[in-house]
Order: sequence, then C-alpha cells, then structure tokens
Amino acid sequence: MMYRSRSERTYQIVIHAIVLLVVASAVFPLLYVLGMSLTGPAEMMSRNYFVIIPHDPVWAAYERILSSPLIWRSFGISVFRSFVGPALMLMLTATGAYVLSVRTLPGRNFLLLLVVSTILFNAGLIPTYLVVKQLGLVNSLWSLIALYLVDSFGLLVIKIFIENLPDGLIEAAKMDGAGELQMLARVVIPLAAPALAAIGLFSIVFHWNSWFDAMVYLNNAHLFPMQLILKNMLASASSDAMESLILNGNAVTPESMKMATVVVGTLPILLVYPFLQKYFVQGVYVGAVKG
Amino acid sequence: MSVKGGKTGPEAATAESPLRKGPTDAVLRASIWKRIHSHRNLYFLFIPVFAYFVLFKYWPILLAWVVAFKDLQLGSGVFRSEWIGWQNFKDIFYSPDIPNVIRNTVEISLLRLAVGFLPPIILAILFHDMATRRLKKWLQTFVYIPHFFSWVIVYGVVFGFFSVGFGFVNNVLSGLGMERHEFLLDSAWFRPILIGSALWKEIGWSTIIYLAALATVDAQLYEAAVIDGAGPLKRMRHITIPSILSVVTFVLCLSLGSLLSAGGEQILLFYNDAVFQTADVIDTWVYREGLARLQFSLATAVGLFQSVIGLGLVIGSNFVAKRLSGRGIW
Repeated sequence: MMYRSRSERTYQIVIHAIVLLVVASAVFPLLYVLGMSLTGPAEMMSRNYFVIIPHDPVWAAYERILSSPLIWRSFGISVFRSFVGPALMLMLTATGAYVLSVRTLPGRNFLLLLVVSTILFNAGLIPTYLVVKQLGLVNSLWSLIALYLVDSFGLLVIKIFIENLPDGLIEAAKMDGAGELQMLARVVIPLAAPALAAIGLFSIVFHWNSWFDAMVYLNNAHLFPMQLILKNMLASASSDAMESLILNGNAVTPESMKMATVVVGTLPILLVYPFLQKYFVQGVYVGAVKG
Repeated sequence: MSVKGGKTGPEAATAESPLRKGPTDAVLRASIWKRIHSHRNLYFLFIPVFAYFVLFKYWPILLAWVVAFKDLQLGSGVFRSEWIGWQNFKDIFYSPDIPNVIRNTVEISLLRLAVGFLPPIILAILFHDMATRRLKKWLQTFVYIPHFFSWVIVYGVVFGFFSVGFGFVNNVLSGLGMERHEFLLDSAWFRPILIGSALWKEIGWSTIIYLAALATVDAQLYEAAVIDGAGPLKRMRHITIPSILSVVTFVLCLSLGSLLSAGGEQILLFYNDAVFQTADVIDTWVYREGLARLQFSLATAVGLFQSVIGLGLVIGSNFVAKRLSGRGIW
C-alpha cells in the first residue's frame, strides 16, 4: 500500500504512538514489580521509598522463597496437574468427538444434546462440591483433574473438525479393516492434531493458573498447587508496609517478598510463552476458544 | 461426450465413489437393533465420556434441584434431609444482603462491559492499520502477555501498584507532595481498580477475535480506496469498521449473557472487609455462605437461581445475536 502522503504518515505516527503507550502500560507494572522484588530495605529508606530500578539489587527475597520446600512442592503439583489433566482431557474429548462425528450412530442427537446442555447450564459450586465429596475426592488431587476430564466446547470443535476431514479418509481406513480404537489412534487423532494441540495448550494454561478449585476441594497444604501457595503468601503479612520496615531492619522487606512471589509465579509462563504464542493465536483462529 | 465437458478421472471417482455413500445408505436401511449392534464398539468407546457427564455434570444438576428445596445440614445425607419447599428461596429474598449482592453483580458486570468493551476493538483496528510488520508483531506479543497470568498474579501486580507503603501510585503521590492513600481499602476505588486491572489483563488478548475478522478483509478494497483518494480515517469508517461490525454485535450479545457472573474469582482475591458493601457478588456470596459457613441449601438455592436466569440470558442473547449479526453460538 502507498503511504506517501503527509496525512498517511501522520496517521501512522499517531497510531504507533497510541499502541506503544498501551503496550508500555501493559509491560511497565511487571517491570515495577521486578524492581521492587530486588529492592532491599536500606535502599528503600535512602531513596525515600521511590525505586523503579534498584541500584543495588538484593536477591534475599528470592533466596528465601526458593529455599521454601512448600514452593517447590507446589510447583511439582502444578506441573503434575498441568500435564496429567490436559492429557487425560484430550484423550476423552477426542474419543467423544470421534464417536459423535459418526453420522450413522443411533442416538447421536441425544448424546450431542447431553454434551451441549452442559455448556449452557451448570449446577453451581455447592452441588458440585457435594458430588466431589460423595465420590470421596475431597482432599485428593484427582478432584482437580476429574472435574475437567471432558471439555464440552472443545469436543464440539473437534467433532466439526473430524466431520470436515476429506471424505473417504475414514471410510478408506475402515475398508482396510481398522477397528474403532485403531481408527481413533492412527487416523483421527493425527489428523485432528492442530485442533487438539490448541485445546490442549489452553487447558494447560487453565490448569496452571487455577487456584480456586484447589482452595475449595483441598484442605491439605501439601497438595496445594503453586498459584494457591502464592495467593496465601500474598495474603499473609498484610501489616502496614512502612511500619514493618522500621520495626525489623533485616535484609528482606515483606514487600519485596511479595513482589518476588509474583515474579516467581510469572516466570514459568514467561519462559514458555515466546515459543507457544504462535499456537495460542492460531488456536483462536481455528475456533478452539470461546471469544 | 467431449473430454472438456466430462469429469476428469479422479474427480469422477470421488463424486460417484461407492465408499462415500454406499455404506451409509445400507446402514440406514437396516433395522434399529442391527444399527445399534453394528456400532457397539463406538458405544463402548463412549462409556468413559458418558460416565463423566453423568457423574460430574448431571448428578450435580440433579443435586442442585434437590438440595435447593431441602434443609441440608452437615452430617445429614442429601436424601435423608428434610424437604422444606420454597423456604430457601423465601429466606433469600427476605435476607438483608441478597438484594445488595444481586445489585452489585449486575452493576459490576455492566461496568466491566461499559469500560472493557470498546478498548480492544479500537486497539485491534490500530493494530490492523499499522504499516510496520515486525514492530507490530512484537507489540502484539507483549500486549498479550497479561492474559496468561492467573488472577493471583494480577492481584500481586495490583498490590505492587496501589499498596500504601511502596505502591507505584502512592510513591508518585508522595513524590508530588500529596498524602499516601489506602486505595485497596477504599470502597470508592474498589471497582475502578477491579475493572481497570481486568482491562489490563485482557485488552490485548481480546483484540484477537476482531483481528481474525479483519484478516479476512480483501486488501484490494484498501488499495482501491487509496487510489480513490480515501484517507486513513475514511478507510477506517467505510471499510474496517463495517467489516467487524457483525463480530462486535456478536461479542456484545454474548457478554450480556453472562450478566450474573461478575468475575467472582477475581473479586474473591481483591475484596476485603473495608470494601465489602460494593464488592460482594453472587459468586463470592455462594462461596462464603456455602463453604465457609456451611449453609449448603441456601447457597445452592442462590446458585440455582443464578444458573436458571443465566440460561435464560444466554438463550435470549444468542437469539438477539443471530438476529443482529447472523452468528450465534449455535
């Protein structure tokens, strides 16, 4: 396109300025948090509490957090649920999608209605809690996995994906004598891989970021995922910031502890995000995500 | 027949292939029991999925309708506890806090919509119009990041920004010679901070649905408009905006469908005793009364009320969305 005229150039400058401003305000709070997490009490005092980039970074807050066994344990639990949860979910969701994509299946419409209805109507927190309790899953990590074993919306997306596969692919495999399970494993899953990958990625992020379900269904802190531990760390020591600074002159302020907690919580996401961003965006284009 | 008019080899084969229609018709003509029998392996495969829906979706829905009309106490089983008819619902609507909770829910939802709806649309249009390729990609990458953070992290960032002792905003205030302010304990600031931080989290990511719609616009339209002498604003008005209008309508209708869920997970983290009056919504009330104070039946009744109204809203908004934009979720 041609952007030679002056009005075109002015427009480009203006929109770049606005977008840069938006992006700066998306990023700046994170940098501020990072700066605070590295600011020691001495520098806080000497620079009158206004520090954006610490001149003399103090790593004590990180040393304390990373030496806490609870954090490492919760990290392991988050990793566990973020892999096992999505893996099982994908298996069941793909199976359901494949079965419901078979047009000749008697009762197909009834089963489809069974799935779709749950997108529109949910039972609410308390009845779900009562069921988890009846099943003996309270205080078990499996509650956090079992509750999301099928993604109804994802199932519909994959079902449509399978239905749109080139005609004859599935029939040809059937003619070769493949059983249903073989069909699923060797034909449907490889072909539906893009849609499955997108749904799986979002499920990983969902599991990684969840804390409320853990707070509801677990009461043993040894089972808490990382986000819930971080939440508890942020909520504790809510005493007035300045007061605690003056009272104890040790190397770590509760503020830098909290901010270091936030940084530790963002780090795993920031480390994988650059490599996966492309797939997340594609996922939306595939229609794998609700708008 | 001439070679030109007839179908070429492979095309003809697929169009009239017995593989495509033959088995289907044959199966459809068979009796229902034969059809079920011939699909038995598929039903076996579906068992785990079916079990999930029964156990974790339909059993809770059944319990919701039962428990809401019973007086369920801790220790007494669901089916042994006493039926009390509509008593829970009467208690709810005569209780002092529920009207306030419902009002807060609707107000916060509407505020979220009023503040959060337009900025992503504008940002998407600006991204779309940016002539720089590389820079644009980089900026998009950065602005999407907060979407992938949990609300816990977002709360931590908000705390870092607004807390009294070291928050950035308070540091600026005190630097300007003004007094530090307890933003997080001020009920007048609760909603602006809640909604502002949600906008911070989602503004970038919410552009994607609009960018996806804009990606389908024919670039030749813009080129023709440039040749005709249309400036950037004219092109925005006559090409860009019309081409996302149906998506905009669709998203707007869908957000109206979730009027009764005001983002309980975020509020649960952000609220405190000082801002309770303006902050408490249905989700947070259900969590507190139901699980912290073990008022199972009362909380179930409120949840059921929320789900039923929510269902009506979703169906209604989908109907309107289809009417106005030609697309719906079903």
